[in-house]
Amino acid sequence: MTCREFKHTAASLTLWELSRCGDEQILKHAEECPKCGAWLDRQQMLAASMQALQAQTASRQAGPQVERALLRVFRQEPFEATQPVAAYRSAPIAFRLSRFFEVGAYVAVAAAIVVALFLGARLLQERSMKGPAQSQSIPVPAQPVPAAAATAQVTPIEIAPPAHQQPAMSEKLQVASRSAAARQAAKPSGADVDVAQTDDPDYVALMFCDPLSCSTDAQVIRMELPVTGATADRDAGTQLADVIVGYDGVVRAMRIVNSNVN
Amino acid sequence: MSARGNTGGNQIGFTTEAALLTDLTDEQLLSRALGGDEDAFTVLYRRRQGPVYRFALHMSGSSHVAEEVTQDVFVFLIQRGRDFDPTRGALGAYLFGVARNYVRRALERNYTDATLYSSADDEAHALVIEDDPADGIARRQTSTALWKAVLSLPEHYREVVVLCDLQELTYAQAAEALGCAIGTIRSRLHRAHDMLGKKLQHSAAVAPGGVSRVTARCAS
Repeated sequence: MTCREFKHTAASLTLWELSRCGDEQILKHAEECPKCGAWLDRQQMLAASMQALQAQTASRQAGPQVERALLRVFRQEPFEATQPVAAYRSAPIAFRLSRFFEVGAYVAVAAAIVVALFLGARLLQERSMKGPAQSQSIPVPAQPVPAAAATAQVTPIEIAPPAHQQPAMSEKLQVASRSAAARQAAKPSGADVDVAQTDDPDYVALMFCDPLSCSTDAQVIRMELPVTGATADRDAGTQLADVIVGYDGVVRAMRIVNSNVN
Repeated sequence: MSARGNTGGNQIGFTTEAALLTDLTDEQLLSRALGGDEDAFTVLYRRRQGPVYRFALHMSGSSHVAEEVTQDVFVFLIQRGRDFDPTRGALGAYLFGVARNYVRRALERNYTDATLYSSADDEAHALVIEDDPADGIARRQTSTALWKAVLSLPEHYREVVVLCDLQELTYAQAAEALGCAIGTIRSRLHRAHDMLGKKLQHSAAVAPGGVSRVTARCAS
């Protein structure tokens, strides 16, 4: 064994292993080489000294007051409260976001309900307004009108108002019609006319029309009709007439109001 | 949880439940202690306080510093034991690492080895009945000389000597505790042994009979 090999082998051993070294090659080289022998002696002397120091301090330990102090600290430590804090530390952003989203979700649902209610109310209101409005756009059909009015140019002068304006309008109709005024004003909607049951002699039912049932809507429209068809006089002017228009825009009946517009 | 009484002496009484805990590993005890189990903490403390105390004692040469460091280490364990990761090493090495930092702090506060020969040590030695008083004196002189030599080493050499030679940790365990490579531990230890050998030779030359006599006794 060379000195280099000796150093290399000795360096891989701990002090304790070296002090109890029984490797023949190492011991033989230590006997042959004074330098390596002196080094090995120093290491063994060091190991012996370490052993002495270790033995001297082996029984040393902290006093009982340290344990008592530690147990006091231990008892004061809020371990139960520490665990959630540790969990909070591990994911603080997720925790905060989850809290935020929880509240946010409730707010969003409440807002959605309010918006839905508002839109629903608006829709219902629009529908209720649309019914009468449709009658405005429906042209008076030219089909089964009496011969007198078949070629007449229909000029409505009064359009059925929305439901909330109906009572006032029915008052106008009351003035306009003489015999059927009381019956007309007594109806709550004013626009609903039961043609099938009407026995007003002033109204003339038109032919080839489907009769209106009790549940269907109809409107009474006062309009100016030219009297040319009736009198064969083109300059005879116009005459007011109340026309009952069904839900489908088809005129069901009409009556001549006894007043000449022109 | 359980009745606890002081049985006198250095130890506070063990309960039956605590006695059953002695079979658990350090990591299991720590886990239970951090859940509020006082008995588990007591068992863990009694198992680990000795090495921690002696490490601090050998590093500082002061029993006062050693007690303070031991207390600080276990308070740290109570308060921040959740930071311990068992996958990165054993609890024993972790505690040595914590103790090393507290010793450094204590030494920075200008603690000296003035209490190396404390009255408590003298009392303890006075109580020991030795067969050969001269041998006992020589052994004490040797260990005192070595301790002085160890304390005079630079800190990074001193800690590897204390851990590997006095605490008998393996190179791997010392590397875990100090957070460095095994090769670093080995080279530092080799260098430290050379320095200590020279220091001891010098002290033996100044006071012949001390070290050489012990060496002769140990070799026999």
